[in-house]
Amino acid sequence: MNVLLNRRLSRIGLTHVRRRDWASLLYVMPALALVGVFFLAPLGMMGWMSLHRWPLIGRPRWIGFANYHAIWFDVGFWNALSFTVLYTVAVTIGLMIAGFALALLVEKPRPGVGFYRMAYFLPVVIGFASASLLWSWLSNVDAGLFSRLAQLLGFTQGRVNFLASYGTAFWSVIIMVIWKLAGFYMVIIMSGLQSIPADYYEAARIDRANVLQRFRFITMPLVRRPVALALILCISGSMLAFDQFYIILAGGPQNQTMTAVYWIFNQSFVSFRLGYGAALSVVLLAILLVISAAQLWLLRDREDLR
Amino acid sequence: MKKWSAILGGMVLAAGMAAQAQAETIHIWARSDDAVFMPKIVDAFNAAQTKDHVDLQIIPTAQMVQKFAVAAAGGTAPDALTLDLIYTPAFAAAGQLKDMTDFTKSLPYYKSLSPAHLSVATYQGHIYGLPFSGDASVLVWNKNLFQQAGLDPDKGPTNWAEFTADAKKVAALGNGIKGFYFSGSCAGCQIFTFAPLVWASGGHLFSTDGKTATLDTRQLHAAIDFYHGMVADGLVPAGAQTDTGTSFFSAFATGKVGLTSLGSFAIGALNAQEPTLKFGVTFIPGEKGGWSSFAGGDNFVVSNATKKVDAIEAFITFAYSLQGQEILAHNGSLPVRGDLAQDALKGLDARYLVTETAMTHGQTPYSTVFNDIINSANGPWITMLNKAIFSDPAAVEPAIKAAQSNMQSTIDTAP
Repeated sequence: MNVLLNRRLSRIGLTHVRRRDWASLLYVMPALALVGVFFLAPLGMMGWMSLHRWPLIGRPRWIGFANYHAIWFDVGFWNALSFTVLYTVAVTIGLMIAGFALALLVEKPRPGVGFYRMAYFLPVVIGFASASLLWSWLSNVDAGLFSRLAQLLGFTQGRVNFLASYGTAFWSVIIMVIWKLAGFYMVIIMSGLQSIPADYYEAARIDRANVLQRFRFITMPLVRRPVALALILCISGSMLAFDQFYIILAGGPQNQTMTAVYWIFNQSFVSFRLGYGAALSVVLLAILLVISAAQLWLLRDREDLR
Repeated sequence: MKKWSAILGGMVLAAGMAAQAQAETIHIWARSDDAVFMPKIVDAFNAAQTKDHVDLQIIPTAQMVQKFAVAAAGGTAPDALTLDLIYTPAFAAAGQLKDMTDFTKSLPYYKSLSPAHLSVATYQGHIYGLPFSGDASVLVWNKNLFQQAGLDPDKGPTNWAEFTADAKKVAALGNGIKGFYFSGSCAGCQIFTFAPLVWASGGHLFSTDGKTATLDTRQLHAAIDFYHGMVADGLVPAGAQTDTGTSFFSAFATGKVGLTSLGSFAIGALNAQEPTLKFGVTFIPGEKGGWSSFAGGDNFVVSNATKKVDAIEAFITFAYSLQGQEILAHNGSLPVRGDLAQDALKGLDARYLVTETAMTHGQTPYSTVFNDIINSANGPWITMLNKAIFSDPAAVEPAIKAAQSNMQSTIDTAP
């Protein structure tokens, strides 16, 4: 009976497939184990913690969904989140424009282009914390370069403390992040630009398409994928912004530049409420998932739909 | 003869090894602020006797609480640690510390131990920490600038009117020289240096048990007005508003500031780094006179889990000996035994005596949520001061009211 069944199954390829499945599962086990230990387990732990009143020092106590309920009324968190969204929009627009512009500048091989590529990329390899520290000194009103420069160039009457008011403090950080990361997005977009075959442009030129038309109908559609990648990286990264606001502004002036992660950090390690911090992290993760899913859907290629 | 001495030597060696084998090793953590004196006092203890051995680990100050929490949860907490004294109530309330009441009170010099340290070490009538290292806030003035401005270089201000007048005269020197400096966005610096203005004038930030915030007082209003006035008159460098503590010490060390409030640590640091800068040290004055100080430093706390209490007590007793107190005094900490302070500080810069007196009569605010309501860079304390001191006068009242209610609700909802 079994022999017959097996023969029949093997005729339609089933046992073969099953055996191969087990083997492939075995092959991916190390990767699965890594994901399990370093991603799923901490995530599960975070979820578990979020259901407790979990002080940094002392014993945790089960409180069910009370932390999530409290988030709903946590004005500070929602303010921080809306600031984070504002920052993300501003910095993403800035970074995409700067990244695209730099990529167009250094895309073609010209004499000395390597130097420029390196120069634009250099700030990327500085750590965010070091860059923030550098910026906070450059922005120091008494000893820094920026206020002196603004005065010398006649933009301001005397020394101006750019970090003291919300608007200038906000833009100081945005400019720093663009300076720091534009090179990274330049590389991503440049790789897309370079993968467009030269024949397309040649054919377009023969058809008498001008520069703008070539950009609109050839470049734009064909760099869609790298731009989508850049956008997703940029948005999810910016939604998790912390170092620059912590180091340059300490959330100031008057806590107006407090990001969502900064709020979570404060709840967890200043107020010692690890359980509540975990619940906030779960909520932020859910929000990020929704944003990323929406982005993937909006930026999908037509081919993906087929 | 040779044979005998070899045998004797062998016996001595064996006895030594046996003693070594029985020796108790205690693990102590210290925050990195204590990185100068702590290794020295530990080495001296280890050299002075063979019974016990201290193994010291230095932890970055900002990570101390987190690291201890993680270690305690994992069962690997150190036997004892030197803890920034303001955290003692929070740790005691969380049930992490051993009750040291009997041992502390049994010490013959118990009454001479720093009262401010002991006050924050006491939780529900029990003592959970022993005063270990000390620091206190004081006012320092630049004698060179005072002289140039035509002021008496040997006399610091004794009330706020004199304070402002001195700052004005120094700032009048111009050329980038300012009268006064404070770190306007640094919560820790401001509790250390601003709160004494309030205390010295008779005000308090909380009730003694830490359960009620008492910000909305005449004294706090007056102290804010005092700073606000100096900022408005241009006596303070513009960077003060956004300084999160990076220039707390260095602003004065540049020699371009007439007055600033610092701690006893600054005496050694200024002597070492700026030998040409002549400076005086006095108490932080009250509105019409009087003075106060924030008594800071470390309490020595013992982990609830440890069983090595005898060895720990031996180490504390050593630290409280004249030798121990001298090691502290010579390496950047004030001695915490009042009865030995004069002897321990003998031969050192006489200005340390001012800071020692400041510490002995200083205060330390008591709160189990100190980190939340005071020390946080985004907490109600610094948010209130920054807003009230650097905005127009109309912002003062709402800023104080907001901080008062914010602090009280944090205290009320504390676990």
